[in-house]
Amino acid sequence: MTESAASQLQEKRPVGGELIIPIAGLLFTGYYFTTIVDSPWTAQVSAFFVGSFLAVLSLIFIIKAAAMVRRGEADFGVRGVFNDTDLEFNRHWLLLLTIAYILVVEWGGFTITTFVFLTAAMLVLNKGRRPVFIALLSAAFAFGGYALFIFAFEVRFPIGPFERLVRWLLA
Amino acid sequence: MSLPLDLFGSLFLHELSFWWVIVPSILLGYIVGAIPGFSAANTIIILLPLTLAMDVEVGLAFMVALYCSSRMGAGIPAILVNIPGTAGAAATPLDGYPMAKAGRGQQALAISFVASTVGGLLTTVLSIFIMPWLAEVSYHMHSVEMIVIMLFGISLIASIAARDTLKGLIAGFLGLMIGLIGTDHVYATPRGTFGLLELYDGVPLIPALVGLFAVSEAFMIIEQRSILTEKGLNILRGAGWSATLEGVTIALRRWWHITWTGLIGLVIGVIPGAGAAIASFVAYQQSRSFSRTPELYGTGHPEGLIAPESANNGVTAGTLIPMFILGIPGGATAAVMLVVLQYQGVNIGPTLFEQRPEIGYGVFIVMAVTYLLMMVTILPLARYMPRVTMARTVYLAPLIISFTLVGSFVPRDYVFDMFLGLLFGVIGYIGRRTGYHVAAILIGVILGPMLEQYFLRAMKMADGDLMVLFSSNIGNALWAALIVSVALPFALEYKRNRQRAAGTA
Repeated sequence: MTESAASQLQEKRPVGGELIIPIAGLLFTGYYFTTIVDSPWTAQVSAFFVGSFLAVLSLIFIIKAAAMVRRGEADFGVRGVFNDTDLEFNRHWLLLLTIAYILVVEWGGFTITTFVFLTAAMLVLNKGRRPVFIALLSAAFAFGGYALFIFAFEVRFPIGPFERLVRWLLA
Repeated sequence: MSLPLDLFGSLFLHELSFWWVIVPSILLGYIVGAIPGFSAANTIIILLPLTLAMDVEVGLAFMVALYCSSRMGAGIPAILVNIPGTAGAAATPLDGYPMAKAGRGQQALAISFVASTVGGLLTTVLSIFIMPWLAEVSYHMHSVEMIVIMLFGISLIASIAARDTLKGLIAGFLGLMIGLIGTDHVYATPRGTFGLLELYDGVPLIPALVGLFAVSEAFMIIEQRSILTEKGLNILRGAGWSATLEGVTIALRRWWHITWTGLIGLVIGVIPGAGAAIASFVAYQQSRSFSRTPELYGTGHPEGLIAPESANNGVTAGTLIPMFILGIPGGATAAVMLVVLQYQGVNIGPTLFEQRPEIGYGVFIVMAVTYLLMMVTILPLARYMPRVTMARTVYLAPLIISFTLVGSFVPRDYVFDMFLGLLFGVIGYIGRRTGYHVAAILIGVILGPMLEQYFLRAMKMADGDLMVLFSSNIGNALWAALIVSVALPFALEYKRNRQRAAGTA
């Protein structure tokens, strides 16, 4: 590849990422319409109105994007959304840890799960540096959150072994 | 209802004597307002045993102070870290957050605090004098009028879309479509729920708010050392008390802006079911429409911060007016307050102001006292609060994710809502990366279901005749105002372009 061709490729707008929301909107609208096709008009009227507008707008955007690609001004790349910074800054690990946090917090309880999540996420994002400080900071926020929200205000946070143990000890 | 003006002075001093309950309530209100998933209504419910045990006037002072300060508290994280504490503060980060990122967090907070307290104070004092007429407003606001008011808020999508029309409209309509998930309002037919029972009541607001703003922001900021730009970091490091005073001056110079946007909040607050989210969106949209510099909105423009903050505090007094005069609470917190007052044996209605003025007028006087004490307590904090934006994002991002996602668990006790918060976070992240404005999506999610509800109600009452939308005088006046407010920016822009062209020719 020549240098000018390479620079031309670099300058192209990556519209693939920009298409995610319109395509998701189109797919969701299509699905939504299938759920109301046999419903009374009260369930249909707003959805058909809003959904039709969304579908038309999304199609216009998709056609415009396709035209840009055809003219050589853009490509279907998704560099705008997913790129090297995800790996560089461990964004993918943060997402996986967040999913794990939500899965575990229901039975692990707020305090322990939050402590583990905060420690793990901060260590991952900080590339393993300052582990003691991170552990102390995580503990301060997790146990501080427990003291303020669950103990003092009795807010309905997810309850787990730690919260049950403290409740049993104080009973 | 004649006003006992001589009574107000002694009532003011009387309510001021409750400072010992008002000040702690104000501080508690800042905290609960700032955390997504919490609200003044929830907190009053949680502390109900305490409230019911108090003397009725003390209990009322506690509830009112908590209510007022939680409104302002919601704006603090909205400005500093782009996380609105409640839906009422969803328009605050549009201009507040860009100011904080530029290292002008102190000024932004001071502007927000002054707009909130002055707006709240003015509307409270005004409420005392025009209460009977304002209460009438809630009588005349039916489905048709509510549809037009919702459209005022939704037209903000068009303003947001001004920078990239197609993407702005796609984001707004996607939000409206998401807002239509759930059962329909007449026959309860499930729609677009993917078979999930958790979505039958519609998409809950807190996960949408938390995901679109907080979670997506957390995933974005990890690329930077701190939320602030390098220049912003230097500005904030060198900022002193003068920066706070500068914010106060900026806000006070725009006293008229505070006044009229606060009035929008007051009038919308009077309408049962409308609320702070609509008021702040409408005020922001109107502020932008009538501005000489609409292009500055969204870049850290003080007027774009003043409008929603003053309006959502104007709502506070507004929601209490129909409650005290008609017994119809204007919002969730007012409804909880009504329950407490009824438990205490207080008979709500116009006679309350004659039989027990210390409660009828007292509630508005205590509100005024609260706003005065809020000024004293919050302004010094403006100096130090922006320091949070200097924290390293490697520590801040996980904290934002965990605490806001757990906040989305709180209202319904569903872990599902945490997943929903994450899903909205992913949508918000993709949207931000590719130029779709998350605020436009959120406006759709908040206002879409309300608009549909009022639209269907109007259609049912008129047997499907669309002309019902133009059947009331107030409604028609509102339609005209809506058309003017939407068309005006384009007309002004056209005029400016012509003047510019004439100048260069």
